[in-house]
Amino acid sequence: MAEVQEKEGGKKKKGAQKKMTIRVDFTPMVDMNMLLITFFMLCTTMIKSQTLQITLPTNEKLEKEQQNQAKQSEAITLILDTEYKEDGLTPAADPESGKTIHNIYWYKGLPDTTFQTNLIAKERFIGDGRDANGVKAQQGIRKILRAQNTEVLAKYDEYKEIWRNKGDWQGKKMTKEVFDSLAKANAGDTLLTRPVVIIKPGPNATYESLINALDEMQINQIARYSIQLPTHVDTLMLEDYQRRHPSEHVINAPVRSENATSSNK
Amino acid sequence: MGKVKVKKKSTFIDMTAMSDVTVLLLTFFMLTSTFLQKEPTIVYTPSSVSEEKVPVNNLITVLISSADKAAKEGEDPLATEGKIFISFSGGLDSTQAAPYIRRKVLDNAVQVYNEQHPKDQISLNDAQKKVFAETNMLGTNFKHLPTLLSMSMGDIDKEQGDLRNPNTGIPINDNKNKDANLNDFQVWCRAIYLTAKQMHDDKALDASMTAEEAKMLEDLYNAIVKEGKGIAIKADKDTPFTTVNQVFDNLQTMALNKFSLMTALTSEDE
Repeated sequence: MAEVQEKEGGKKKKGAQKKMTIRVDFTPMVDMNMLLITFFMLCTTMIKSQTLQITLPTNEKLEKEQQNQAKQSEAITLILDTEYKEDGLTPAADPESGKTIHNIYWYKGLPDTTFQTNLIAKERFIGDGRDANGVKAQQGIRKILRAQNTEVLAKYDEYKEIWRNKGDWQGKKMTKEVFDSLAKANAGDTLLTRPVVIIKPGPNATYESLINALDEMQINQIARYSIQLPTHVDTLMLEDYQRRHPSEHVINAPVRSENATSSNK
Repeated sequence: MGKVKVKKKSTFIDMTAMSDVTVLLLTFFMLTSTFLQKEPTIVYTPSSVSEEKVPVNNLITVLISSADKAAKEGEDPLATEGKIFISFSGGLDSTQAAPYIRRKVLDNAVQVYNEQHPKDQISLNDAQKKVFAETNMLGTNFKHLPTLLSMSMGDIDKEQGDLRNPNTGIPINDNKNKDANLNDFQVWCRAIYLTAKQMHDDKALDASMTAEEAKMLEDLYNAIVKEGKGIAIKADKDTPFTTVNQVFDNLQTMALNKFSLMTALTSEDE
């Protein structure tokens, strides 16, 4: 292939050029290309990061407090907590899945401030799995959130079915864009019963647990949620829960000083 | 006895095909890749089901460092946690920097800082501003900024990479007043906001601007003020929420309450 052979044509002339074979050795070329490929492979990112959009309220304290009280009575509160390893430094990982263990303490409505009963239940981010009979089923916190948002999800699943089967929607094939906008309108449909979720990352919660919680909102099509810090009542409720369930000992994260990040000021 | 004749065989292997393949691979890598941005520390972002891509243009990334997992005996692993760096990427693609925007933001930041600290004013010369415009990611306090920008590029990287250095990281605190006592991080936020707004409010602000620079500022305005897609927070998955929340809180105070969180993609298990 790398040879160019010049053939004599037709008649033999006197003083015709000799038969020549030009052979180009491509080995150095391959060497160089390999080096370049290695360079590009090491210096580049193939995967672009994804982003998660969030909009937080501005720091207007008065309004915020009023909103909270109105919502709390019908809301689902998720208190996030992350389990730590013995050394208390790195989060503990589940031996099976290898994922960090995040506990979610959740309750519905207002907390019982008399502490006669404790409505808190403990869940985890498990996602989808199979039940005892091997049937596909949501588990963990997803199952609970799903049960609270049945009306929205029933419609969402309908749309999804059409989209999956490339069915028709208003005379046209349903595209991803149409499906996305339908799902968005559906999640925000005020005529349906929709839950309000308050996400409260506790003192041990890691950033990942927050992202996981936000993901659950997206998966379960919950449009109304807010991120808040746990109140004093929440902290007491958690302590009360741990007193009631002494076997569920959780290792806490190392105590960060109040202004650990501003110490270098 | 006759000798066994070994036939001479040519060991020449035709490398043309090989060369073709490598050139194809090379082309593929050159076209699909974006260069890794130089960052003072590596963070592993948490995974999420969100499929939204990172906007390439005019993105301001706030990087929050994580605890030192490889800390040696006697070193406080938490000392490296929560250091804040800001980077400005812009222009046509992520490999191309936006020196113009960086310069504008720096000018505004110095101005705001000097207004806030009349007793501790800082000033930067042209050479220092040029260094800033060419640096991808920076995190230091304002007092140290002139010193840092006088160093060579190599020394800057070295100092910024040392998270235990007290001058590394942009100082932050819990100030909730958006007009007074701004901390250094809030000064940067204000500067970013002002830079984004300048284009919109006063188009004839800078006659020397080229059309491309004007478009960059317009894009920045749209991203930050209108869509809220201009700021992305990049933090490690194991960073405590309280540390990340402080940055959230500062951004909320500075009325930059729409922003994105950098995540890695995971599939919705179904």
